[in-house]
Amino acid sequence: MMGEHEPVTLAQAAQALGLAAQVGAATEEPITGAQVSDLLSYVMANGKRGQVWITIQTHPNTVAVAGLAGMTAIVIAGGFEPEPETVARAEEEDLPLFVSHETAYSLAGKLYELGVR
Amino acid sequence: MDTRRLAHHEFPILGRAYFLGGRASTSVKHVLREAGVEEAVVRRVSVACYEAEMNVVLHARSGYLSLDIYADRVVVGVIDKGPGIEDIELAMTPGWSSASDEARALGFGAGMGLPNIRDQADEMQIESAKGEGVRLILTLYREGEHDG
Repeated sequence: MMGEHEPVTLAQAAQALGLAAQVGAATEEPITGAQVSDLLSYVMANGKRGQVWITIQTHPNTVAVAGLAGMTAIVIAGGFEPEPETVARAEEEDLPLFVSHETAYSLAGKLYELGVR
Repeated sequence: MDTRRLAHHEFPILGRAYFLGGRASTSVKHVLREAGVEEAVVRRVSVACYEAEMNVVLHARSGYLSLDIYADRVVVGVIDKGPGIEDIELAMTPGWSSASDEARALGFGAGMGLPNIRDQADEMQIESAKGEGVRLILTLYREGEHDG
């Protein structure tokens, strides 16, 4: 069934998951997949261009990792708030940063349901 | 084969400054892009640099990253002043880490740093002794069969 659907965009995902933007806006950029992890080295090694990273880490190193891996956005799950330095760094790197009160598990499930595989 | 050196850069790394971690690697990425280095190579260098930079941040007092761009390869040096690595073979073991509890709580210290670097680099040279810091030299070829 692959290839029959239009790719899910960041804007569609943000709306469907009820994500609140902290930095940047939900663009029409397609999402190619996602990572759910709180280990930075794991994401550094496995994160791919176009993916969304769901995590409960809130410190600015997440922005460095996502930026270096070429990921599309960071979603901080579980109701955690990014540190001010994280917000500043995301603005500097032009990396969309979202927050959600839902768990990482729930967000990943919804993203999968949307068709992000 | 063209093996000329095209550019040289150096970036300082501050030990213990978690918040600044990744700055040097991000600069490396921008410099490589501007120099027209192939995107796949940029990514491999970026990943390796980040892990090496964080090793300095997590374990050393200070250090620096040197970047040399050649026509056929990229050479990265990460040299620090810190406690050094007593047993390099052990440090290369996936999952082994000497990171502090504080660092682990931030999502570091998974014991994947050096293995990640080894996976990205075509050549990896590491010299260290207890109390004498670490000298890491990486070579990544701009063309070849490495699939990173």
